[in-house]
Amino acid sequence: MAIENVLLALFYVLIFPGIWFLATYGMTLEWVDRKLGAVLQNRVGPPWFQPMADFVKLVSKEVIIPKACDTLMFRNLPYFAVAGVTAAMMMIPVWNGALFSFEGDLIAVIYLLTIPTATFFLAGWSSTSPYAAIGSMRVLTQLFAYEVPLMLALIGPAILAGSWNITAIAEHFARNPAYMPAQIPGFLVAVLALQGKLERLPFDMPHAKTEIVGGQFTEYTGRLLAFFNMAVSMEMVVGAALLNAVFLGGGLGLTGIGAFALFMLKTFGVVLLLVVLRVLMARIRIEQMVNFCWQILAPLAMAQIVFDIFLRIKLG
Amino acid sequence: MKTKSLKEKIITWSRVKSPWILHFNSGGCNGCDIEVVDALTPRYDLERFGIQLKPTPRHADVMVVSGPVTRQQIKRIKRIYDQMAEPKFVVAVGACACSGGVFDGCYCVAPGGLDKVVPVSAYIPGCPVRPEAVIDGVVKLLGSLQK
Repeated sequence: MAIENVLLALFYVLIFPGIWFLATYGMTLEWVDRKLGAVLQNRVGPPWFQPMADFVKLVSKEVIIPKACDTLMFRNLPYFAVAGVTAAMMMIPVWNGALFSFEGDLIAVIYLLTIPTATFFLAGWSSTSPYAAIGSMRVLTQLFAYEVPLMLALIGPAILAGSWNITAIAEHFARNPAYMPAQIPGFLVAVLALQGKLERLPFDMPHAKTEIVGGQFTEYTGRLLAFFNMAVSMEMVVGAALLNAVFLGGGLGLTGIGAFALFMLKTFGVVLLLVVLRVLMARIRIEQMVNFCWQILAPLAMAQIVFDIFLRIKLG
Repeated sequence: MKTKSLKEKIITWSRVKSPWILHFNSGGCNGCDIEVVDALTPRYDLERFGIQLKPTPRHADVMVVSGPVTRQQIKRIKRIYDQMAEPKFVVAVGACACSGGVFDGCYCVAPGGLDKVVPVSAYIPGCPVRPEAVIDGVVKLLGSLQK
């Protein structure tokens, strides 16, 4: 009995919906991201195995640890980033509800998704290179800019569903699909904030290569860089899955293969939005981003919350 | 020729499919630099071979050097070469980087081109090089890895 439970837990953590699933799907989405970006720029784009080749190459490369670094942190941070993202995935429904579902798991997921960002900051800080230090300060500044709109945007559906449980929110939208169009402003805010969280254009100031070399990852080589890249790809999967569950109604009441196909379809849709944003826009400055997030995104999310409260009182 | 194990084959495959380049100007006139940048534009689309321009030597596999090596740049180019992680390759782009070009023998230029300073894996001549020549040179360098 105990052995079976341990094996099942290992299966969840290592295979599905844990590290293996996240890694393969993350690589697929990374390829979709790069390929679609290339097509939108009138290019051919990389072949389908590109993210895999990048990962294998980086893993097989030499790892250089600069003398001035905090070796312990420098070595271990990439694995913490991957672990944080994987732990968040355990609470997000893929098909028939999440593995670990409890009242308040929405808050837990938001905090777990902050762990990769925190490791990016510490990575830049522990490498002690000036470029990495500037990059890591920008990571933190950016965190304070997008985190509040993201949380506010996710609160809207939670109020509407009357629950902090992601699965319950998804089920609520599946029962009442008419509420979904009312969440469009909140969804757009969440997509923009997710773009900031993933540090993609127009919010890629932390590793802006024309300004501060490689940003927080300047000193990272080989295996460690590979796992950071992997963590970013996985974060894209988890972010898309979170938006899918909170705003788009998760499996929409379907079960089995149908729900899984719907999950794939809708996460692809979210990633498509992210790609179009990335291709359309140029990088903005860090203070422009803070202004944008606090003056436009946060009030918009607040308005969405007020609207949701009225909706809930009106419709019971 | 010694047969390679599956692991070695996979690693070589990944290296051939994903070369990340670092662009370094060792004192050139900017002609070759423009052509290298040209090779990275959507018109030639180097990303279809998996080639990406990386900002830091720590991430890069191939250092693309253009221009004659000036005396000021000797120790800097050595330092950047040392900062790259193994396995690493250097490609000399343009007549100046290959041999010193018209600047060979100049008071401020290290005599004899780039290979007197760091080991060079491939030479791409031209003044300036054509973007097609850059792509061809890098692809040939990667092809030589498979042997």
